[in-house]
Amino acid sequence: MSSGLSVDAVDGPGGEEKPPEDPEAPQQLAGRSPTRIALGRLARDKVAVVGTVVLLILVVLAIMAPLICDWWNIYPDQKDPNAPTPSQMLDGNQLPSFGPPQYPFTWDHPLGIEPQSGRDNLALLLYGLRTSLTVALLATVFSTVVGVTLGLLAGYAKGAVDAVLSFVIDFFLSFPFILGALALAPIITSRFGGDQDTLRRAELLSLVGILVLFGWMGLARLIRGQVLSLREREFVQAAQVIGVPTWQILFKELLPNLVAPIVVAISLSIPAYVAAEAGLSFLGIGLTESPSLGKTVNSAVNYFERYPLYLWTPVVTIMIMVIALNLVGDSIRDAFDPKTRR
Amino acid sequence: MSEHTSFEEQVAQTHAANVLDPDAPAVLTVDNLRMYFPVKSGGVVRRRIGDVQAVDGVSFEVPRGGSVGLVGESGCGKSTTGRLITRLYKPTGGSMKFGEHDQDLATISDKEMKPLRREVQMIFQDPYSSLNPRHTVGTIVGTPLRVHDVVPKKQTLSRVQELLEVVGLNPEHYNRYPNEFSGGQRQRIGIARALALQPKLMVADEPVSALDVSIQAQVINLMQDLQREFDIAFLFIAHDLAIVRHFCPEVAVMYLGKIVEIGDRESIYSGAHHPYTQALLSAVPDIKQATTGERRERIRLTGDVPSPINPPSGCRFRTRCPIAQEICAKHEPPLLQIGKRHKVACHFPGRINQPPSSPITAGLLGVDAQGSPDPGASPSSDLTDQPGYADTWFDLDSKSFGRA
Ligand SMILES: Nc1ncnc2c1ncn2[C@@H]1O[C@H](COP(=O)(O)OP(=O)(O)O)[C@@H](O)[C@H]1O
Ligand code: SF4
Ligand SMILES: [Mg+2]
Repeated sequence: MSSGLSVDAVDGPGGEEKPPEDPEAPQQLAGRSPTRIALGRLARDKVAVVGTVVLLILVVLAIMAPLICDWWNIYPDQKDPNAPTPSQMLDGNQLPSFGPPQYPFTWDHPLGIEPQSGRDNLALLLYGLRTSLTVALLATVFSTVVGVTLGLLAGYAKGAVDAVLSFVIDFFLSFPFILGALALAPIITSRFGGDQDTLRRAELLSLVGILVLFGWMGLARLIRGQVLSLREREFVQAAQVIGVPTWQILFKELLPNLVAPIVVAISLSIPAYVAAEAGLSFLGIGLTESPSLGKTVNSAVNYFERYPLYLWTPVVTIMIMVIALNLVGDSIRDAFDPKTRR
Repeated sequence: MSEHTSFEEQVAQTHAANVLDPDAPAVLTVDNLRMYFPVKSGGVVRRRIGDVQAVDGVSFEVPRGGSVGLVGESGCGKSTTGRLITRLYKPTGGSMKFGEHDQDLATISDKEMKPLRREVQMIFQDPYSSLNPRHTVGTIVGTPLRVHDVVPKKQTLSRVQELLEVVGLNPEHYNRYPNEFSGGQRQRIGIARALALQPKLMVADEPVSALDVSIQAQVINLMQDLQREFDIAFLFIAHDLAIVRHFCPEVAVMYLGKIVEIGDRESIYSGAHHPYTQALLSAVPDIKQATTGERRERIRLTGDVPSPINPPSGCRFRTRCPIAQEICAKHEPPLLQIGKRHKVACHFPGRINQPPSSPITAGLLGVDAQGSPDPGASPSSDLTDQPGYADTWFDLDSKSFGRA
């Protein structure tokens, strides 16, 4: 059928019902994808906008942490030759010699100084935020990739592959996470241990690894369920009849239809990972070398009566971050809700 | 086009009914096709506890450029038959010889099937689920072109627009999403996608069932135009005999996984000999019986279709058949050719309300009228269920094989 061939459409689309808007209108030519419709909905949601702004501020603070610290002349550790030594900052009781709790507020150290180590609390907070978001982001990316891929495979494959994958999903879901983390963290870390810098990186990656290992199943199971119903839709059969290769059916036909549940799962898993990092570090099985909000909370608990500011700043920061992430996540879920689609 | 005209009158305004070309060679020959879906028990160890006999020994031919209708109530295995031909399922048994080289679609590997997918395409029932809601029309219609490298990448768009024009859509709408189109327009998009590969055989699974009556006629007309223009053979699946009548010069009637009657338009619509076909016909209000001048008799189908997991013994229709007798429970009626292009599977085939008094098949099966073994008779060797039609057939009046 070349351009010469064309069936005269005797009864063309003329007599047919038309879409509501005039199809001839030139400015309307580009269609709006369901994702763009959802984003439009999101932009009109006040809670989502406020939450996003809060998150953006936190992210910018985390990204700019080194610049801010430089400018403020504060240091998260004593590696820097310019950093003050603990003895310069602390008195005989290992409490700060400047600022709260014993002395009045000072702009040099607006959130005070850490007892025992003499490091600046603002610097610790900014770098802790950085760690926290890095871990959450990495864990989310990897667990999403693993969860989506295995979920797609399990849902589409049927039979033995599905049975094996479903068993693995159930196995990891029923495995006690804390126990696994307790057992695995030191093993992974010790394999990479070396100088302090390598150890710090190894610790971070092993934490991400553990979070991913126990964090991909929820999404995998969700995706598998969605694929089970999607694969019965006729457009999947149409692709099969055309001869579209299986991997293209998975990633080009099915995946775009899973944007909503994936976005929702991501937006809800980031706060969970932030909380998990803080929790594990608080328990001492997360990060020991990098600055971490959870670790700070752990040390600060001992000073709760004498030095409440030391405890409250990381706690409030974690709370604001997790609440904002959850609110935005909920709004995203509402915006992408499949029931209101189409 | 007024709201109140019937589908038949609407299509007839612009398009004459398709006619049969008796000499056309078969593009598809389906022989004894079977599809059993395993039924598994619940629990951890899922044992196979039975089979859904969705398609059980179906034979027919689709002539080149022609169209064969497949009708029957829902659940009788029409879609499964269509999906077997497009190899969405691999059949349990039987053969499906396709094309000039008689390649057997039933047994070739998925890899060998890939080039053949260009030749066998499908139009789907539900215009809402058959188009990926996340793809633009351009992507949807362009996918077959891309997968099979039909045209160079740069020309995909212009070809897509050409195809949209052919099916009567605005070619400028290629970057719209399916949700911006009406049901009838979506069905046209699905037709454009199937047409992109220029198939020789199109399986249309209830292509207009989901559409308004006024739009049904337009889509049928479009398919008829395309069929003539591009010489495409159609296996046209429908549950409604009225739509099939216009489009298909040949019709096969299915019941519970088997073909119970198959024949040309005349034989089915004016000379149905199977009680099930007669019941289906009498449920269609606007089929004109002018050709025979017969008074319309109404047969009502009562009861549910039995489960294809445990189909009734003998004739599968016997639980709902108004004229069933003892032999029907004991022996399955063979699909017997009773006219030049007419086969029926019934022990008592006859005009409506005029069934023969004794089973015409008893002698052929070597049994007596009640279906008990008859020591005096031997089963006839003339009972072969081949796809297509033989030159000799069983004459109902003389009760013997011969030429009319
Ligand atoms: N994939 C499947 N697995 C199990 N049973 C099926 C499957 N597809 C169809 N069936 C069964 O096969 C029978 C025929 O179905 P189908 O071919 O869809 O009928 P129709 O298209 O005539 O309505 C039905 O009983 C249906 O439940
Ligand atoms: S074989 Fe018997 S039960 Fe079956 S359709 Fe004929 S008369 Fe009815
Ligand atoms: Mg069907």
